[in-house]
This record gives sequence, C-alpha cells and structure tokens, in this order.
Amino acid sequence: MKKLLSLVLAVTMLLGVTACGNENVVDESGSAAVETAKDVLAVCLASEPDTLDPALNSAVDGATMAAHLFQGLAKWTQDADGNLVVVADAAEELVEGVVNEDGTVTYTYTLKDGLLWSDGQPVTAADFVFAWNRAASVELAADYCYMFEVVDGYADMWAEEPAEDAALNVVAVDEKTLQVTLANAVSYWNELLAFPTYFPVREDVVANEAWATDPATYVCNGPYTITAWEHNSKITLTKNENYSDAASVTMPTLEFYLSDDNANMLTNFENGDWLLIDDVPTNEIANLKVNYPEEFVIAGQIGTYYVCWCINEEILPEGSALTGVEAEEAREEIRSAIGLLFDRNYIVEQIAQGGQVPASSFVAMGMTNPDGTEFYKTAGDSEEFYGYYDVSAEAYEANWAAAVETLKKYYTFDEATQMFTDFPTLTYLYNTSDAHKAIGEYLQSAMAGIGITMNMENQEWATFLNTRKEGNYSVARNGWVADYSDPICFLDMWTTVSGNNDIQYGKGAHAELAMYDLDLTEYGYELKVEDGTWAETYDELIATIKSCTDNEVRYQLMHVAEDMLMETGCIVPLYFYTDLYMLDDSVKGFYSNPLGYKYFMGCTIE
Amino acid sequence: MSSKTLGYILKRILLAILTVWVVITVTFFATRMIPGGPFIGEKAISPAAQASLEAKYGLDKPVFEQYVTYLKGVVFDFDFGPSLKQRGRMVIDIIADGMKVSAKLGVIAACSAAVVGIVLGSIAALRRNKLIDKIIMVVTTACVSMPTFIMGSLMLILFSLKLGWLPANGDSQGGLVLPIIALALYPMAYITRLTRSSMLDVLGQDYIRTARAKGVPKWKIIFGHALKNSLIPVITYFGPMLAYIVTGSLVVEKIFAVPGIGRAFVNSITGRDYTLVMGTTIVLAVLIVVMNLVSDILYKVVDPRINLE
Repeated sequence: MKKLLSLVLAVTMLLGVTACGNENVVDESGSAAVETAKDVLAVCLASEPDTLDPALNSAVDGATMAAHLFQGLAKWTQDADGNLVVVADAAEELVEGVVNEDGTVTYTYTLKDGLLWSDGQPVTAADFVFAWNRAASVELAADYCYMFEVVDGYADMWAEEPAEDAALNVVAVDEKTLQVTLANAVSYWNELLAFPTYFPVREDVVANEAWATDPATYVCNGPYTITAWEHNSKITLTKNENYSDAASVTMPTLEFYLSDDNANMLTNFENGDWLLIDDVPTNEIANLKVNYPEEFVIAGQIGTYYVCWCINEEILPEGSALTGVEAEEAREEIRSAIGLLFDRNYIVEQIAQGGQVPASSFVAMGMTNPDGTEFYKTAGDSEEFYGYYDVSAEAYEANWAAAVETLKKYYTFDEATQMFTDFPTLTYLYNTSDAHKAIGEYLQSAMAGIGITMNMENQEWATFLNTRKEGNYSVARNGWVADYSDPICFLDMWTTVSGNNDIQYGKGAHAELAMYDLDLTEYGYELKVEDGTWAETYDELIATIKSCTDNEVRYQLMHVAEDMLMETGCIVPLYFYTDLYMLDDSVKGFYSNPLGYKYFMGCTIE
Repeated sequence: MSSKTLGYILKRILLAILTVWVVITVTFFATRMIPGGPFIGEKAISPAAQASLEAKYGLDKPVFEQYVTYLKGVVFDFDFGPSLKQRGRMVIDIIADGMKVSAKLGVIAACSAAVVGIVLGSIAALRRNKLIDKIIMVVTTACVSMPTFIMGSLMLILFSLKLGWLPANGDSQGGLVLPIIALALYPMAYITRLTRSSMLDVLGQDYIRTARAKGVPKWKIIFGHALKNSLIPVITYFGPMLAYIVTGSLVVEKIFAVPGIGRAFVNSITGRDYTLVMGTTIVLAVLIVVMNLVSDILYKVVDPRINLE
C-alpha cells in the first residue's frame, strides 16, 4: 500500500519534471531563432487560416499567404512612383483581348520560359485550365467561385441541370499557350488574374484533399514554399529556389505567427518580436497614433460600414392610413430622414478612431470611374457635396433639422419636449463586439434625442448572419469589403435572388410593390419601365450592366443603380473602412494593395 | 480484488459509456438546432454551392440518419470525420494538435497543484494557529473563492501589462507560466485546505500519540504515518480536480490565447463546425468520465475499508 502511494507520488512528480523539461526545450529553440533576425521577417496577420488552398481561400490573410506561395498570370506590385499596379507574372505580358463576333472576348497568354513547381516539374498552360475549372466548379463550391462569372461557360457550369461537359471556355493551346474567352469585356480582368482564386494548382497534387494542410504535400510555384506549419502557432515560408524570379526575393524566410488576439499582437510588436501586426486594439489607437507616428499605418481599404433596414419592416405609426406603394414611399422618406440624424464625423473621430472617412454613399472610396475620378465623389447629383447627403460637420445641424421636419409629416411631434411620441420601437441588431456595440449605442442615443426608442440586441456571429440574411430584424449593422475594384461588387448583391440581399429587396411584401421607374433609353438601351417592381427594374439594370461592353456607359449605369438603392433609404452608410496595421521602421520594401493584401518578398530588415 | 469490487467497476464502466452516449446525443442535436450553419459567412455562397457542400459532408440527409452514421463511424472506425471549416483537415488531427498543448498545460497544472497543495497543507497543519498557517489559510480562501476568469484576467493585467514580467500570449516563450498558475491556483488552494484538515484529524489519532510515546522520530511520524493517511481525501479529490482543469482550461486558454483544445472547442461552436464540436465534446467528456472513474477506483485501492457500494 505504502509502495503504491509512493509510486503514485513519484510518477506525479516525474511527470511534473519532464513536463517542465519540455518547456525549457521550447525556450531554447525560441531564442536560437532570434540570432538570425535579419533573414527572418516575423509578422502576425490573423489566427490559423481556414485553408491555404488558393481556390478555397476567401480571407485577406489567406490571400496574402497565397500571394507569397503562388505565381498567377498577373501580380500586384509597386511601381517606381509607389503606386500599386497589376503586371504580368507567369504570363509574358498582359495582352489585350480580341472581341469575337458574338461579343465574347478572347485573350491569348504565353507563359514565361522555365516556370517550375516547387517540386521541380514544369508549370504548363494545362495546369491553369485545370485549376480554373476546379475553382469554378460546383463540386468544390468555393466561396469565391463567382470570381469566374465573367468567363464564358461559367453560367453553364452552374445551370440547374448542367451538361456533363460544362466547363469554362479556357483552352491550353500548347504547353505554354493559354486561351481564355470572357462572356464580355470587363475592365478588371487583369486584376482578377492576380486574385488567388485564379492561381494555378496541379491536378495530381490536389487529388489529395488534405494537400494544403501539410508542408510535405504542399506544392506551389510562387516566391516561397511552406517549410513548417505548427497549427495555431506559426507558418514558416522559405524562399523557393525554383521560382522564376527568385533573384527579386530579398527576404529568405517569412514567419507568419497565428493569433487573433490584438492585445497580444501589440505586446509582441512592442517587444520587437513581430515586425508587422495587422490588427490593433481599438482602445489603443489614440495612444498608438501619438507614440508610433511613423509605424502606425492607416491605409485605404475598399469597404463601407453601414446600417441596413429590413425593407419589409413596418415603421409607420400605428393606425396610419397609408398602404401599398404610398406606404413604401413614406417609409423611404422616413428611413432617409433617420439617416440624417447621425453625426458621421463623431463616429469616426470619437468611436472608430482609425482614420475612417465619413460616408454619404454606398460604393466605397477607392473605386474609380473610367476617367480616373473617384466613384464616390461623383455619386448623387449634388454640386456642393459628395454622395447623397452632406456629411460635413458644418451640415450636421441642418441635416438634423431637415430630418425632424420630414418626420413631422408622419408622426406626432410634442413641441414641449421636442420629441416624437408615436414612432414604433425599433431593435438594432449587431454581432457581439465592443466596437459594433459602441457605434450602436451612439445611433441609439441620436435617435433617442427625438423620442425614437431603439433597443440593442447582440447575437453571436453565425446566429447574427443567419438572422440578418432571413430578414428577421428591423435595423442591423452591416459592412461590405470589395473583392476586386469594380463597383459592381457593391451593387449586384442587392438583386432579388442574391444571397447577400439582407435588406430583402424584392422579397415578401416588397415583391409586389410596383413603384420603381427606370429609363435607360438615353444610354442606348430599350429598357424603360414605369411603376415596375424591384425585379423588373433593379434586377434588369444589374443584368444590363453585367452585359454592357461600353465602359463609359457601364459606369453611368452603375451610378444609376446606386441612385436607386439610396433612394430606398434602406442603406445608411456610416464610414468607409481603413486598414490599420503597425510596421516596424526597420522593415524596408514593404507594400500592400487596395484589397489589403500585404507583400513581404521584397523586404529587407535594416 | 473481490468479485464485489469487480462488479462495481464493471457497473461504473457501463455507466460511463451511457454518460458519454447521452453527451454525444444531446450535443449532436443541440448543435444542429442553433441557427446558422458551417457554410454561412459574411459573403453568402450560392444555393447550388451550399447544396453541393451539404451533399459532400452528408448534411443534406435527415438529421437522425446523420446521427446514426456519425455514431457508427465513431464507435466502429474511431472516425470523427473531416472538419467542415478547415477544409482538408480531419477532426482527429485538430484535436491531437490541441491536445499536445492542453495536456502539457493540464498535467503541469495538476501536478503543481497537488505538490504545492500537499506541502502547504502539511505545513499549515503542523504549524497550526501560527502566523504561517494563518497566511496560508487567508491566501487559499481567496484563491478558492475567486473564479478562474477573474483570477486569469487579474494576473494578465498585473504580470503582463503592468509589470511586463511574463508574456500575455500562451503561445510565446514562457507563455504557459501564467495560464498554468491561473489554472492551478484553485485546485492548489483546495488541496491545501483538504490536506490541512485531514492532517490535523490524523495527528489527533491514537496511533500517532502511541508512535510519539514510543519515541519514533518526528519526521518519521509525519511522513511514515500521518501524511499517508491524510492523503486519502486528497486522492478522492483528484477526479473532480481533473474535471475542473479540463473545463477550466476552456476559459484559461481563451484568456491567454493558448492554442489548445479548449480554444478549438470554443471556436468550433462559434463557427458551427459540427464535426469538430462533436469531436472535442466527446474527447473532453471521455476524459472527465474516465478521470472520475479512476479516482473512485484509486480511492478503494488506497483504503480497503471503504465500501464502494
């Protein structure tokens, strides 16, 4: 008995000792890495990526890694003036398309000589054909399969009953020649070629479904290869000697630390362990701006933070005589008026604090018209301000007064208290997060200022997405970040059948409301609808834009579409997103693109 | 070992299996009842893509059929299926990765709690009502009454943010020190108090007095007679302690960003990664059930007078 007990105790202690021993080993190996600091760039973008398969990835951090691991036909790079441009990468050059008789456009690319996979096999045009068809396929069901929507044949693949041989119109003419045909010309085609979904993968490699989870089976063709992946901890990328442009890669090793804790990221940055962190705690932003004026970076990001209304939510006072189209017209006016109650400058300066730009239109800052002007600056028809309302600090009081005047038409206003007395109670839905909550509380207080009660309801992420998608809310927090720089990605999400149509345009009671006018005759189209439903107008307009080959007209039509959206008052833009990160000043040669992808291959550490 | 004991152990094992089965069943249906799904995201995928993924993972079948398939897979093939979120990775691999970290955290915490607790408890008992006893009692009372999430957060603020002695991230160098302490404090305090009272109890027994009267050296009385018998209640606490450490690590791993199974579990729930939720739940449930079983059997072995019935 005594023996047993001492045995138990001994084993316990031994376990304790060996376990502690392991800890020491970790410490030693950790300090060994520090010695070669100039050859290793340690950064932290986010936590463990869901996937490193370029076709399946839909996250910005995953895209950054894919850009270091693969070579597509094109890539983002920084030109001599510091501007981000798309240039040829695996392709000899980014050719112009040839317009066919049926309006489709064919591009013929020649691959550079001597392109190799990281295992030494040659990269061929057939690899691209395979990769693209795989990424676009129903079987893979990738988040970003719709990136291939512009390619001829995509619609057939996704038809309700697709033909056996339905495939993208992409052909490997020979080992080095790739021919792709687009349904119609799109201005952002070269940018798509630089998008991770368009990166090549090899058939025999991806036949193993787990290929992208293990460095041993990960075959790529870019500047780096994965040499180690400690799950939830660190991904190590080492320069790929088989890469065609290996001479341009100045950083031998990249370490992507995996963490989703921004306080922890900041600690490691301040310690000097991590030289770039892609997130910072919101409540530290004000300090960081002062303490790290050079290293705290606010970069542009093409995205809009906004509030959306469910279009079928009844907001007219109880007993209102208005019905049908008249009621919806009144609601449009009411929602637009409420959008004027919010001081966007206060939101970005006091709450968000990350250099965001107050928004008065939906299509985000960073999108440009064909003539190079900013899309958001030409939105709306005002000469005095950008967008659909004046969001300058000076205009705020006038906006507020105008909103109250409009609301007085529909609700009872108590002059003594300056409050509306019969506005129905609203609920603001947001996903659990301090940042969203703070903004929600501001909106709540602004509305309470004129007697409108808005309760707050937070839901955990997946539940929130579901509730919002189903339209089971009255007002909800929302945000959208572009996948490519074309305004259409902000506009086609509001068609009736779109999966992102959270506002429920053209659904439920709204489906029946024939109240929208659309006249495209001045743009050379026959489409002219008076008192049409959402499906008859907006959906048709988006279809027209997607098939439009004249870029000038196309952009004008996109402005028309945004006008229609904003007219409904269901979208209340608050600000345009920015990308906040911290970069140690010893790192040179770093750049990031408008989509937030970060590029480290040309970096050096001083 | 008597047949009665064997019968008891057999009964306990059957009960344990039943418990795990109930946990599996309840979790399986509960995860599918919460709104949202694994393929839902900020940017919606098309209904066709959704259908394709559901077919791929068998989520298009009736829930009961999925349940039967899943149970069969787990029981006969030890197959926990693929993760629905981390495409290409198997649930079992994700659990194994998390377990490496969590086991280290848990084992060190449990061992330090036991060793430190027993030592402190003995000291307190032998120095009864002296200053050292009072200090130990005050500190352990504080540790027993404070929940882990408060203790963990306080330690994070004090040692990491204010003093900067230890890293906040469980994954960095020396990063496991704070989480281990946070996790070990409660069971350590509990064991201290348990050892103290049971040691005092034993020290008052007749046989100790006899030993003293015979002139047995003091250290021999303490280590040879008193400590051994006063550890019986401590051993019974091992089961609940390990259960506490398993559940406590869910909180601690979240606070200190330790990439263990606890964090994988929490993330799998928010991401509706059904298979990973099931996998982690089963592993944690089995762990707790087995630990309790072992501790009960050990109890019987240590003190044959105890009637397990």
